[in-house]
Amino acid sequence: MLRLTLAVARKDLSLTLWRGNGLMQALLLGLLIFFVFSLSQEVGENLSPQSAAAVFWLSSTFCQVLIFNQLYALEEVNNSRLGLLLSPAPIPAVWLGKAIAGFILLLFAQLLFLPAAVVFLGQSLHGPLPPAVAILLLADTGMCALGSLLGALAQGQAARESLLSIVLFPLLTPLLLAGIGVGAQIFGNPSPNGPGAWMGIACAFDAIFLATGLLLFSFIYAGEE
Amino acid sequence: MDTLVWVIITNAVVWIGLGAYLIFLALQQHNLAARLTQWEMLRHD
Amino acid sequence: MRSLSIVPAMLVLSGSLTFACCQWLIYSYAPTEATMGLTQKIFYIHLPLAWWALFSFFLVFVGSVSYLLKRAPGADRLCAAAAETGVLLSGLALVTGTLWARKAWGVWWTWDPRLTTTLIMWFIYAGYLVLRGLNPPPQRKSLVCAVVGIAAFLDVPLVFVSARIWRSIHPAVFAAKDGGLEPEMKLTALGCVVSFGLFWAGLLWLRKRQLDLRDRLDTLASAAQQQ
Repeated sequence: MLRLTLAVARKDLSLTLWRGNGLMQALLLGLLIFFVFSLSQEVGENLSPQSAAAVFWLSSTFCQVLIFNQLYALEEVNNSRLGLLLSPAPIPAVWLGKAIAGFILLLFAQLLFLPAAVVFLGQSLHGPLPPAVAILLLADTGMCALGSLLGALAQGQAARESLLSIVLFPLLTPLLLAGIGVGAQIFGNPSPNGPGAWMGIACAFDAIFLATGLLLFSFIYAGEE
Repeated sequence: MDTLVWVIITNAVVWIGLGAYLIFLALQQHNLAARLTQWEMLRHD
Repeated sequence: MRSLSIVPAMLVLSGSLTFACCQWLIYSYAPTEATMGLTQKIFYIHLPLAWWALFSFFLVFVGSVSYLLKRAPGADRLCAAAAETGVLLSGLALVTGTLWARKAWGVWWTWDPRLTTTLIMWFIYAGYLVLRGLNPPPQRKSLVCAVVGIAAFLDVPLVFVSARIWRSIHPAVFAAKDGGLEPEMKLTALGCVVSFGLFWAGLLWLRKRQLDLRDRLDTLASAAQQQ
C-alpha cells in the first residue's frame, strides 16, 4: 500500500506543479490576505503577535481549501476518477496519497507565508523554534488528513470552494486555536503555559482524523453515483 | 431595562423561534398534501 | 388514506404544557440566586436547549454510523431531522446565552468554553445542513452526509478542550457560571430538561415523519415517470 500511496502522491504533485498555473492561485490568495491585513496597521504600528498568527493560519486554511479542491479536481475531467478506482491501489491509499501531496504543497506555501508575516505584518521570530516547527507539522498533518477526507465531498458541485470551506473551517477550529496559540508565542507573546497543552490537542486531532480518514474515505470516494 | 422584562424577552425569543419552526413544518406538510392530491388526481384520469 | 399517528403532536403539546407548569417551579419554587438575581432564571430555559441540541447532534452521529453500516434510508432521514432540530435548538441556546451574558456581565459574548463549543457546533451543523440542501445523486449525498456527520461529532470534544485551553491562556474574567446549584434549583432544572425533552422528541418525530412522507412521494413520482 505504501508504494501505491507514494505513487498517487507523486502523480498529484507532478500534475499540480508542472502543469497550468499549479499552486499560483492558492499562493496569491494567501499573500493577498497578508497584504490586506497589513492595511489594518496604523503608521508605525505593528499587528499584535496573536493577530499576526491568526492571519498566518487564516491564509493557510484558505490555501489548503484551494489545494485540496485542485487535487480532487484533477480526476474530474474524463471520469478519470474511475481510472484511479480501477488501479490496484486500495482506496485509502488514494486518500493518503492526496493527503501527502497536499501536505507538501501546504508546507511549501507556508514557507512563503512566514516571510510575508515578517515583511507585511512586521513580526519577528522569538521563542524556541523546535516546538513551533512541531506544532506547524502537527497542525498541517491534521489539516491535510481532514482536507483529504472531505476534499472529495463537493465533487461535481457548483461553488465547490465555498462549500468545502464552510464544512471544513469550523471542523478545523481546534487546530487553528492550537496554531494561533503557539504562533503568538513564537511572534513574541510568551505564555506561562507554553506549547505543551496545544501539542496535546494537535496530536489528539491528528490521531482521530487520521483514523477517520482511513476508515471512512472509501465511502465518500467509491460511493455509488 | 428591568430584569424581569429582560427574562420575558428571552423566553419570548425562544418560543418565537420554536413557533417559527413549527410553522415551517406546517407549511411543508401543506405542500406535501397538495402534491399528494395533485398526484391522486393525475392517477385518476 | 390511513391517518397519521397523533403521538408526536401529543408529545409536542404535552411538552409545552409541562414546560408551562415548570414556569411555576422556576419563579416560585426555586430560590432566586444571590448574586445574579432574576437573570439566573434564563438558565432554566438555556440549559434544556443546550442539552437537547447536543443530544440531537449525538443522534446525527448514531444515525450516520448506522447508515454507513446498513444503508437504511430511514437512518439518513433521521440524521436530517436531528440536524435540523439541533441547529434550531443550539441557535436558540446561543441567543439565550448572549442575552444572559449581556444582563449578568454587561457583555454580549464571553469566550466561555461551553458557549464557544455551542457556537462552533452551530457552524458545523449549519454547514452540514447546507450540504444536505444540495442536489447530487441521492445515495451519494447520503454517504457524504453520513461521513460529515461522524467527523463533526468526533470534533466536538476537541473543540471543547481547545476552547478551555484558549480561555485559560487569557485570564478568566468571569467566575464559573453555575458552580454549586442548590437542590431546589437542581430539581427545577431537571424538570425543565425533561419537559423540554418531550417537546423536542415530538418535534423530531414530526420532522422525521414528514421527511419519510416526502421521500415516499418522490419515489412514487419517479416510478410514475418511468412508466
